[in-house]
Amino acid sequence: MNSISPIAIEFASLNFPTIVPMIIAILGALVILIIDLINKNLDKSLYVMIAVLFLIIDLGVIIGFTSDVRGFFDLLLVDGISILSQGIIVLASIFFVLTAMGKLRFQEYRYPEYFALYLFMVAGFQFMVSSDSLILILVGLETASMALYTMIAMHNRLNALEAAIKYFTMGVLSTAFFAFGSLIFYAVTGTVEFGKISEVLVASNYENYPLILLGVVFILGALGFKLSLVPYHTWVADVYEGSTASLAGFLSIVPKMAAFVVALRFFEIFIASSDPFVEIILYITVVLTITIPNIVALLQNDIKRMLAYSSISNAGFAMTAILIGSTQATEGLFLYWMMFLITNLGAFSLIWINRNKTSSDFSSTSDNAMDKYSGLIKKEPFFALLMGLFLFSLAGIPPFALFWGKLYLIGSAVNAGYLMLALIMILNSAIAGYYYLKPIVFMFFKEATEQRDDILLNSTTPIKVVIGVCTVLVIFSIFLIEPLLEIISYYVQISGY
Amino acid sequence: MEYILSILIFFPAVAALIGFLVKQNSIKAYGICVAAMQFVLSLVLWLKFDITEGQMQFTHIIPLISSYGINYNVGVDGISLFLVIMTTFMTMISLIGLSEKRDLKNLIITILFLEMTMVGVFLALDAIIFYTFWELSLIPMLYIIGAWGGKLRIYASIKFFLYTFLGSLIMLVGMLYLGYIYYITTGTYSFSLEDWNMLILPFDMQFWLFIAFFCGFAVKVPMFPFHTWLPYAHGQAPTIGSVILAAILLKMGTYGFVRFSLPLFPDASVYFTIPIAILALIAIVYTAMVAYAQEDMKQVIAYSSVSHMGVIILGIFALNVEGIGGAIFLMISHGIVSGALFMLVGVVYDRTHTKMIKDYGGIASVMPKYATIFAIVLMASIGLPLTIGFVGEFLSLLGFFKVSATLTFIAGLTIIFGAVYMLTMYKKVFFGPIKNEKNNELKDLNKTELSALIPLVALVVILGVYPKPILKSIETSVNHVVEVMKIKAFEDNTRVEILDRNSIEGAR
Repeated sequence: MNSISPIAIEFASLNFPTIVPMIIAILGALVILIIDLINKNLDKSLYVMIAVLFLIIDLGVIIGFTSDVRGFFDLLLVDGISILSQGIIVLASIFFVLTAMGKLRFQEYRYPEYFALYLFMVAGFQFMVSSDSLILILVGLETASMALYTMIAMHNRLNALEAAIKYFTMGVLSTAFFAFGSLIFYAVTGTVEFGKISEVLVASNYENYPLILLGVVFILGALGFKLSLVPYHTWVADVYEGSTASLAGFLSIVPKMAAFVVALRFFEIFIASSDPFVEIILYITVVLTITIPNIVALLQNDIKRMLAYSSISNAGFAMTAILIGSTQATEGLFLYWMMFLITNLGAFSLIWINRNKTSSDFSSTSDNAMDKYSGLIKKEPFFALLMGLFLFSLAGIPPFALFWGKLYLIGSAVNAGYLMLALIMILNSAIAGYYYLKPIVFMFFKEATEQRDDILLNSTTPIKVVIGVCTVLVIFSIFLIEPLLEIISYYVQISGY
Repeated sequence: MEYILSILIFFPAVAALIGFLVKQNSIKAYGICVAAMQFVLSLVLWLKFDITEGQMQFTHIIPLISSYGINYNVGVDGISLFLVIMTTFMTMISLIGLSEKRDLKNLIITILFLEMTMVGVFLALDAIIFYTFWELSLIPMLYIIGAWGGKLRIYASIKFFLYTFLGSLIMLVGMLYLGYIYYITTGTYSFSLEDWNMLILPFDMQFWLFIAFFCGFAVKVPMFPFHTWLPYAHGQAPTIGSVILAAILLKMGTYGFVRFSLPLFPDASVYFTIPIAILALIAIVYTAMVAYAQEDMKQVIAYSSVSHMGVIILGIFALNVEGIGGAIFLMISHGIVSGALFMLVGVVYDRTHTKMIKDYGGIASVMPKYATIFAIVLMASIGLPLTIGFVGEFLSLLGFFKVSATLTFIAGLTIIFGAVYMLTMYKKVFFGPIKNEKNNELKDLNKTELSALIPLVALVVILGVYPKPILKSIETSVNHVVEVMKIKAFEDNTRVEILDRNSIEGAR
């Protein structure tokens, strides 16, 4: 083991532009807080729009990066992967913050702090994806998670508190795992940067192998919580159920995108050198993550819980890309996640506008029971059609969005020789077909059980626009794939994955 | 003319969208209009079609995901041409004969969407586009069974969906693998069927790919033992659903065998001839027996469909021009005949709300026109000479005779079994004393029903007497398929076997 050299900091290595995107988001949060200090009686729509404005500028700056740059005392690495994932995170955040514009006055949206936290969280995720230093990743992860815990808790319901506490305790455990894993890698290699860790490991020919494996297990555990990989997935359904549909949708997309990037960077070290143990651990994790939640989802009677389990399974699906490790698979990961983004955004927004504040009592656990959707085709045919569309997209029926993601991922599994894995993915798609049909059966084939005229109670024009955009993208996704793949492959290839 | 195929595919879908604006009381007329226009379009296609050419015609390519080799690629040959015409024709007829009252607007819009997917399947030349239409066709059918079906409709629709969905997903892996093989061989990705036809694959690769594609097609056909979804689907579906399911959707499976399995995997096709023939024989004999035991008229026809599809499979795996050509003709004739039979059952079901054989008896005297038409269609179904059913059945069996005389003999039993269960049913329903007093007041066919059924009867007779115009162009294209198989055969034995079965001299 080398002795640790003292850290020398040069100011030139700050390379300020690399942190501009995050600073914009943080600035936005501060602006919201300051406005609230000056005038307390402003409407939430102002804060939503301020958040959107700052995020748009944020996105603009991100798009401006074209090649690898390092900065922030060499802790930040803005490479293709980082640009791409930051882009997805910020874009998704723009859409999801718009869903806060619901008609019902939920209490959390009355606090401007909610939106400030939202922006802090985005900044945290941006830090997380643009670093290859374990320390900065941890900082980003914690910033984002802390904000998220609070946002979930702000939803003033019993099960929201339960969800927040659950998410918090699990999150803290995962942080501890991450810290311990990092510690081990630091002990073994004397560095906390993925690139250097890889170099040292190869140079030392994986000396202390058991210790390295222990480190891998801890990091996998930590990322497993964030990515909801089996067996670290138990919190997901309860947390989704306790959060509002709009936040649940957000949880299913954005934090996972950030964690995928960290997982991609981390496991690349081992997959590139085709380490058999890490591959087996990953293989088992992926297969279990695809399969078990799928089977559990079959038993759900609440549509939000069902989508929660389905999104765990989908995370497992995307995780196969990291296992496969080819360039095509990495491209597939991003394509899949973009397609998943537009589909899930649409589905959760639809659930969100079907929110009924009055009929379910304060402590009710299930306010999205499938029964609520029965016979919708008669009362709200448009709603039912769109919901059906998003569910078919999730099931992977062509030509809707997620099919192309699945096609590309399964294709890359086949191309890399993982035929068995491809078949497991296929079988699970078929199982998933069954539970996606369930709400469809309720909406289209069953008679309505109760009279409800307030299905679209929470709908407003901004949310409808979001849903409309998703619908168009999901239906005509085939025309998006080619340009998207061009962008993705450009960025993936410049960062060498 | 260049875009006629795309127009044929997307016209029904556009019309369906416009259909949302049509008032409920005039939606049926609108549906018939659209379907008739679509039928005329397909006839125009026939008119412009060069019957002396066995290759794909009117091909048209638009790049979609070119980096991954996925293009919108359509084309038509003698095989798909008549299937498309049959599709547009049967859709039109089933809409004319439509008697459903509930939620008519949604039903007709769904049927028009379904028509798009069916025509798309027959015209697609890119595997992924083919798969897209193939999967997309599940959604409208799911809706038709689930929303307008009988008591067990939800179970039946989900079973139908999941069976076919799983089968075709496995096929998708095969397609992706084939695309990858193309990439390894040539350096670019392609999912175009014509590109794939250039590939010569070693036998073990063909073996697994054949199985993957088989999963997709066999469930759809449905072959024994993957047929269990079909009686449920038919039993629960409304009349129009059964008509389209039996007449067109099942043909997608057998079409897939001809279009993909045979030319792509000639060695595996030869290798699997006997196992598949045995499955087909079990389907023919076993389901014929099951059909005999049914008490529900619709189930009799449903099982008879499985039985007849077995003959089609047998014809296809004869791997010679007679067999494949006969099978394709049988696909068309079975489409017309089974469609007509399901419509006929629908006619009495509308009047009495029962499909049980025991509730009828002696209605020939009450409904003479109905009995006559039923008799003619039934004769075609059992394959009586001079009806449309005979030609295809005969040619398929003739084709397979060159492979195995014994198996063909067993398959020939289908004609006898068919006669047994069909005639028994006919006797019980139409002759003897009238069991149910109410049946004395049954009304004979009305004008709408006649206008739907008479064209079918006319076709049954005309094409039975003079099938040549259709058979001729089918054979030209089938020759092309056999030619491709011969060129692509990886092992010499296969080539000899194919030449043998086609009775071409100088094989050895």
